[in-house]
Amino acid sequence: MDERILEFIGDLRRAELRISPSEAVDALAASAEVGLVDRETFKATLAATLVKESRDLETFERLFNLYFLDLEALGEGIKKALGPEDPRVQDLLDRLADEDGLELDDLTELLMRGEGSEMEMAIRAGGQNAGLERLMYFLQVGYFSRKIQDKFDWSAIERDIEKIMRMLEAKGLDPGQLARIRNYLELRLEAFNRMIRQHVERELERRAYRQGEKLTREVLSDKPLFALTPEEVAQMKNVVARLARKIKDALALRQRQEQKGRLDTRRTIRKSLSYGGVPMEVFLKRRHREKPKLITICDVSDSVRNASRFMLQLVWSLQECFSRVRSFVFVSEIAEVTQAFATYPVERGIEWALKAAPVDYHCRSDFGFAFSRFANSELESLDRKTTILLLGDARNNYNDPQAWALRLIRERVKGIIWLNPEGQWGWGIGDSVMPMYAPSCDLVRECRTIGQLGEVVDNLVHHWWRRGH
Amino acid sequence: MFDSVEDVQQRFKSARYIASRRISTVVYLSERMGRPVLIEGPAGVGKTELAKTLADITNRPLIRLQCYEGLDEGKALYEWKYAKQLLYTQLLKDRIGELIADAPSLPDAVARIAGQDDAFFSFRFLSQRPLLSAIQSEQPVVLLIDEIDKAEPEFEAFLLEVLSDFQVSVPELGTVKAKHIPLVVLTSNNARELSDGLKRRCLHLFIDFPAPAEELEIIRLKVPEISAKLASAVVAAVQKIRALELRKPPSVSESLDWARSLVILNAQTLDATLVESTLTMLVKYEKDLERVKGALDKVLAP
Repeated sequence: MDERILEFIGDLRRAELRISPSEAVDALAASAEVGLVDRETFKATLAATLVKESRDLETFERLFNLYFLDLEALGEGIKKALGPEDPRVQDLLDRLADEDGLELDDLTELLMRGEGSEMEMAIRAGGQNAGLERLMYFLQVGYFSRKIQDKFDWSAIERDIEKIMRMLEAKGLDPGQLARIRNYLELRLEAFNRMIRQHVERELERRAYRQGEKLTREVLSDKPLFALTPEEVAQMKNVVARLARKIKDALALRQRQEQKGRLDTRRTIRKSLSYGGVPMEVFLKRRHREKPKLITICDVSDSVRNASRFMLQLVWSLQECFSRVRSFVFVSEIAEVTQAFATYPVERGIEWALKAAPVDYHCRSDFGFAFSRFANSELESLDRKTTILLLGDARNNYNDPQAWALRLIRERVKGIIWLNPEGQWGWGIGDSVMPMYAPSCDLVRECRTIGQLGEVVDNLVHHWWRRGH
Repeated sequence: MFDSVEDVQQRFKSARYIASRRISTVVYLSERMGRPVLIEGPAGVGKTELAKTLADITNRPLIRLQCYEGLDEGKALYEWKYAKQLLYTQLLKDRIGELIADAPSLPDAVARIAGQDDAFFSFRFLSQRPLLSAIQSEQPVVLLIDEIDKAEPEFEAFLLEVLSDFQVSVPELGTVKAKHIPLVVLTSNNARELSDGLKRRCLHLFIDFPAPAEELEIIRLKVPEISAKLASAVVAAVQKIRALELRKPPSVSESLDWARSLVILNAQTLDATLVESTLTMLVKYEKDLERVKGALDKVLAP
């Protein structure tokens, strides 16, 4: 049994559940404690020792049912599929065996009388050395089904069936009855073949469960954002949600760590008076550290729309861990969308920012104009705790870049981080004015794919908000 | 202590707690393997109650450690009673003076005082907090560490050390080893991710809202005065309300409160006015309340 459990753990790991060796050992020890009598208990035992995240329970449940087949239920299912068993035929076969010394191959015996569960066991045994571990794609199902079928000696069955028919004929059954009996036997044979195929399909599902999902995710992570289709954008949403979660966790942890600060002399001395001047209890000043402020400025022109979408999603999710998040979008006119983000749920907020914010979506992007307007209206509200996150391709359509505006902004804030959804090779070529803005930025990163967005987030979490304050 | 999983289930039931097969299995394993149980799930499904009932049916005292932000070792494990120590040294000043009166040199005097360390660093001056008392207890106990997700990650790391060896080292006194391995139950509302180490160490149990049949059983057991018809109407309504995507869906404790209040009101059946007037027992947020009121005919539909 231990091997079966270990193999099952392998399946779980393939489905991206993290299971440590010590947990595997626990599972073995625990299942030895409860035994295998009751399926539910056994399942609960494995779940308690192996699955430590409630969101993984569903995967566990599914794989458990595929791997530890409920033979009883399966047998019932097969019985139903075969139609009502014909007791008269069974009776007939019994009589033949008793009176006329009919001897059948083991396999035929199984086919004629076996319960579903026994048949399943036989198929499983046949599949042992069929190389099922190479089963990865749906197209292989037919091949492997045949391979398992080949393990059984079909000619013996054919011979047995012929033998039975001959004996019955000799007993003087009429052709109609004979045809019914032959039909019954062939039906069972066919069902057996179907079971083999179902077995292989189950094996495939068990092995490949969530593999496809993982594969798409990996491919999509490296696909340029502008090339993503709407369906792919939807698929990547939870990846961005995970990134946001990462930032949240890191910031929350950091704030807790930094609560203790320097000695609070006043309180310590005051308390020491009650101990005759001995500072028995020491008090530390709590450092009141304000949460970092964040301002995002997103280019929402058509060329970078997908990238903006992810950026806005990230920003929306971050609102609660920054004391102040303000979001702006621009094409050439710049507008604040913070209010909409605070009131709308994420989807609607993003749609609104991308389509309905008070900016002209049809003109050509003009970074210079947007920055100068921003500097004019918002400069007063910037301070040293503010980080500005900029997203845009810096393709200025040959307008005046007005780099002074960004320089001015930089002087008032903690830093400016520029994410460019265009490949680095294009910066400065044509109407790209990236090199003119770059000196005012603390960090300029290429952000063409979700993978790269992830790297930027890592960088922010581990270096940017950790450094100094 | 327990003969089998069925035995666990039976004893929980006789203590008026409906433990599903899953719950009983995990409790049984925890006792057999000496492992802590980590229970996760929405608020009000009986996580804490499980630990209390466990103490009840095993006849063990329950020691409870409620976690909160800022909980540290001093409040969870032990603390020296500084004031008492100080008071004693003051009171015993003369005795200490006598002790070192004829010491020939300063180092000698220091050595003599050092020899008396034990008098002041003993269990007499140690105030025991829940973890230490659970470990030190003469009789086996049930230790409930409630809402572990509210404490900081550092505390979790420290807890892990205690839970893996069931021993604690007090530098002045040495290592205190548990006389009996306590049954440990940790609960979490999932306010934050717990560390992998802690999860690995524990048996994991996720308690969700109960299935209709189970909830009916719980209500009939806890509110025996309720009529069978009303009980099943309550369960059906609660299950439907849970499906409404509320901010805080009603939990088992809330449906029990509701059932009790309906019994007090002497209700026989559920009708719209009755439900509307008692809805606050079930739903706690204004917005949720409106939502349920809006969908009332759907909730009450048979």
